[in-house]
Amino acid sequence: MTKALASGVDDALSALEKVLLGKRRQVRLALTCLLSQGHLLIEDLPGMGKTTLAHGLARVLGLEDQRVQFTSDMLPADIIGVSVFESGSGEFRFHAGPVFCQLLLADEINRTTPKTQSALLEAMEEGQVTADGHSYRLPKPFFVIATQNPVTQYGTFPLPESQLDRFLMRISLGYPAPEVERELLAGGDTRERLDGLPRCLKPDQLIEVQSQCRQVHASAGVIDYLQRLIQYTRDSDLFSYGVSPRGGLALLRCARTWAWLDGRNHLVPEDIQQVLEPVIGHRVRPADDIGSHAGARLVNELLAQVDVLG
Amino acid sequence: MRQISRAAVLWQLIAFIAVVLPHFGWLPWWLIGLCVGAPALRLMIHAGRWPFPHWSIKLALVVAVSGGLLLTFNRDTGMSATVALLVAGLALKMIEIYHRRDALVLLYVALFVAATTFLFYQSIGVALYVMLALGVVITALNSIFQNPMQNDMMRPLRRSGRLLLFSLPMMLVLFLLFPRIGPLWSIPLDRQAARSGLSDTMSPGEISQLTRSDELAFRAAFSDAPPLPSQRYWRSLVYSHFDGRRWTREPWEQRARLEDERLIDESSPVTYEVIYEPSRRRWLVALDQPAVAPRDYRLGYARTLVSDRPVDRRINYEVTSYLQYKLSPELLSERKRALFLQLPEAGNERARALADQWWRAAQQRPEPFVQQVLNYFRGDFSYTLTPPALQGDTIDQFLFETRQGFCGHYAGALAFLLRSVGVPARVVGGYQGGEWNPYEGYLTVRQYDAHAWVEYWQPAGGWVRVDPTAAVSPDRVEGSADQVFAQDPAFLSETPLARLRLGQDGWLAELRRRAEAINFNWHRWVLNYQGQQIELLKGLLGQLSMVKMVLAMMGPVALILAAVAWFQLRDRRRRPSDPISRGLTTILKRLERQGFQRHPSEPLHRFLRRVAEAAPEVADPLLRLAQADEAVRYAEDPGQRDTLLSAVKACQNALARNTSVIHKRIEDEKAGR
Repeated sequence: MTKALASGVDDALSALEKVLLGKRRQVRLALTCLLSQGHLLIEDLPGMGKTTLAHGLARVLGLEDQRVQFTSDMLPADIIGVSVFESGSGEFRFHAGPVFCQLLLADEINRTTPKTQSALLEAMEEGQVTADGHSYRLPKPFFVIATQNPVTQYGTFPLPESQLDRFLMRISLGYPAPEVERELLAGGDTRERLDGLPRCLKPDQLIEVQSQCRQVHASAGVIDYLQRLIQYTRDSDLFSYGVSPRGGLALLRCARTWAWLDGRNHLVPEDIQQVLEPVIGHRVRPADDIGSHAGARLVNELLAQVDVLG
Repeated sequence: MRQISRAAVLWQLIAFIAVVLPHFGWLPWWLIGLCVGAPALRLMIHAGRWPFPHWSIKLALVVAVSGGLLLTFNRDTGMSATVALLVAGLALKMIEIYHRRDALVLLYVALFVAATTFLFYQSIGVALYVMLALGVVITALNSIFQNPMQNDMMRPLRRSGRLLLFSLPMMLVLFLLFPRIGPLWSIPLDRQAARSGLSDTMSPGEISQLTRSDELAFRAAFSDAPPLPSQRYWRSLVYSHFDGRRWTREPWEQRARLEDERLIDESSPVTYEVIYEPSRRRWLVALDQPAVAPRDYRLGYARTLVSDRPVDRRINYEVTSYLQYKLSPELLSERKRALFLQLPEAGNERARALADQWWRAAQQRPEPFVQQVLNYFRGDFSYTLTPPALQGDTIDQFLFETRQGFCGHYAGALAFLLRSVGVPARVVGGYQGGEWNPYEGYLTVRQYDAHAWVEYWQPAGGWVRVDPTAAVSPDRVEGSADQVFAQDPAFLSETPLARLRLGQDGWLAELRRRAEAINFNWHRWVLNYQGQQIELLKGLLGQLSMVKMVLAMMGPVALILAAVAWFQLRDRRRRPSDPISRGLTTILKRLERQGFQRHPSEPLHRFLRRVAEAAPEVADPLLRLAQADEAVRYAEDPGQRDTLLSAVKACQNALARNTSVIHKRIEDEKAGR
C-alpha cells in the first residue's frame, strides 16, 4: 500500500517535471504544500508557468479544478456563488460559484479588492462558504493555489499579513536556466503536454498520503532546532516581527511531508532547511525595510546564525 | 598491557638518568657502569639494532647484580646499601621497558630514588636539580599515557610543566603549614660518615687535629652587631679530670651530683640563633655565659649547653648570653673543691716546684700567679699546629723543653699549675672566633676554630676565664684561626683546596660570602624550617591549639582544592559527559585542525559525509559514523546507540592513525592550487 502510494507520488513528480522543465524543486515544494493540506501562493511575473503548475498539479493528483481570473471589479459572489429566484418553484436557489471544486486556481489574486480577497479567506480557512445566511460545505480535499504578481507592479492590492498567513507556502518559479529554455523553445506546445499528463493518484490515496505525512517522526533534536530557529526570528534585530506559533506548526508540517517524499520516516534538519524559505519567507519582514518581503535574505541569515546542534 | 610510544621510551631513559645522576658521587664503580650501560642497551633496542634480551640474559644480570651488591656492601643494611639496591633494580627494569605497566613501576621507583638524594646532599643546587629531575619524571609519566602512535616529545613536557605550575601553590602551602613530625622509623646511618668535632677527652694534640678540617661546626645569627672577636668564646665542654696525660670529663654520675652555678651579676646581654651542624654528640655551644637554656635543651654541668639526645641532624635554637658576667662566689662545696683540685699523685715534679715558687712570690693570690704564668708563656713559647710529641711527664716536657704547643697545651698546663698550688681550675673546650658574614648577619664557626681555655675559681669573684693562648699568640684571639695558621702546612691539610677558598680579600672572597649567605638562609629557612614553623604559626594564629592548627592546614588546602574542582566542573559543563558526545567533540576538534569546518546549518551527518568525500582515507568510518549518528539523533533508534559508540571509537582511531596522511594531502592540494 505504502509502496503504491510512494510510487504514485513519484510518478506525479516526474510527470510534472516533464511539463515544467528544470523546476524540480518548485514542483516538489508545491506538491509538499498540497500533501501537507496547505494552500499555495505562487508569486511571479506573468508568463513564468504559474498556471501551468497549478493545472498540472490538479491533473496528476486527479483533482477537479476550477480557475478564476481575479480582476479589480470582481465581487465575492463571483467566486462563492449566488442565490437566484426561480419562478418555477417560487424560491431562491443557490447557484454554486467556482469555489466549489477540489482545487481552485486563483489567478492574480492581488488584482482584486480586499473584499473579494477576504471572501476567499473564509473558504480557505474553514472549508466552507456562507451565502445569504446559509453555510455550504466545500468538497474535500480543497486546495487553493493562488498566483500573484510582485507587489511592486501597477494596479495591485497587496494581501494583508493575516491573509498571507493562510497560505502554507509561498514560492516563485523564476526564469528557466538557458539550456532548459532552449529545450522549452524547441519543444512542443505546453497545452498539449499538459493534456497528456497522467492521473497518478486517486482522491482516497491522496488522503492516505496526507495522513502518512503527518506521522513522520520528529525527534527532540529536530524539534529543538526548529524552536531555536523560530526563537531567533523573535529575538533578532533583523526581523521586525517573528514567526508565530502557527508559522512554526506550518514549518513542521511541511518538513514532515518533505521527509516523506524523501522516503524517510523521520525528520532531519535538512527537511526543515529545505522548506524554511517557502514557509516563513512571507511570514517575516526585515526590520530595516518593513515594506518589502526580503524573505530569502533573512532565511539565509537565519541558517547561518542558528546552529543545528545547538 | 598497552604499549608505550617511542617518544615515551626516550623519556623513560632521560628520567632514569636524571634520577640516578646525583648518586654517582658515592655509588660503587660497577653500579655506575650499570647505570650507563642499561640505558645504552635500551637505546640500541629502541634503534632496532638489538632485540630485547633473552630471559636467560636477564636472569644472569640479576644474579650478577645481586652478587655485586652483597660483595660491595657486605650484608650492611645501611642507607647506602638500600639506595644502591633501588638504583640497581631501576637500572635492570630500564632494560625491559616496553609496556605502560613496566614504565609505571620504573617511574614510581624513580620518584623514590630522587627523594633519597636528600639523604646524601641537601644544598640548594641539589634541591633545584631534584626539582628538575622531578619535572622530567612527571613528563615521562605523562608521556606513557599519550597515544602510542604519537611521537611528539614536547607535548608531555608542556603538559607536565603546566601541571607542576598548578601544583606549586599547593606545595608552598604544605611546606609552610604541614606539621613536621619526627621520623616514624629511622634509617641506620653509615658508620664511616662520622664527623669531626670536639670530643669528650682532651690530650694536648687533640684539638690541633680539628684544624685540619674546614668543616662547618655551627653558625650563629645576630640581629645586631656581633660581639667583638675577643669576646667570641663559644663554651661547649668542661674538662675537670686530669690523669697526667689527658683531660677528661667527670663520669656522668659525678657530674649529676654537682650543684648548679648561678650568675649573680650580668650585663651586655646578646641574643642569637645557633644553627648547629649534626655532630653525633650531645653537647652544644653557647657564648660565655648563657643565661638560660633554650627550649628542648638544658643547661648542664658547669653551665654548658646539652641536648638529651645525640645531635644527628641540623638543629637550631635561640640563646641569650651575658658577655659581662660574674658567677656566684659562694664557697665551693667539699666535693666540688676536691673535683676541681684533682691531680695525679705524682709526676711533673718540676712544674709543681715552679708553681710553688711562683705561688709564694704571688703571696698566695691567684691573680698575680696567673699573670706570672702568662708572662712565662710570653717568653720564648711558640704557638704551632705541629708541636713535637710529648712523652712521660707531658707538662714538664712542654714547659721546660719543647715550649711549642697549641691551645690545648697551654690551657692544660695552666690548669695543672693552678691546681698544684691549690686553686680550683678547669679546662673549657669549645670554639673561639668565627667569620662574620655581613650580608645575612651571622658568624660562621668551623672546626678549625676549636679552642680550649681555662677557668679558675677565686673566693671573691667565682669562676674567672683566662685564655693562656692569648698571651702567646694574641692574633689567634683577636683575629681568626685561618689568618694565624695560613702559613702552617698542617692547617687544613685534609682539604687543600679550602685554603684557596678561605682567602679574606678580593672578589672571590666576596663572592664566597654571598654564596654562603644564600646557603645559610637555605639551611635556616628551608632545611631547618621545623623550628621556625611553630614561631610563624604562633605569630599568625596566636596561641596554638589543635583546632586552629587543623583549620590553618585545611583552609588553604580546601581553598586550592575548591579552585581546582571549580575549574574541573566548569570544564565538565562545557564538555559533554557521555562518551559519545565527548568522542564526537574530539572528532570535530580534530577535523577542524585538519581544516574541515562545520557550517552552523550543517547537520553532523551531512558534515561527516562531506569530509568523507574529501578524505577517502577515513571515508569508511566517517560514513558509518554519519549513518549511526543520524539514526540515533534523528530517527531516535535506541538500538543504534551501541553501533554509534563503536563508530565513534573507530572513527577516532582512524583519524589518529591517518592524521599525517590527511594533513599531507591537504597541504599538497593547497600547493597544487
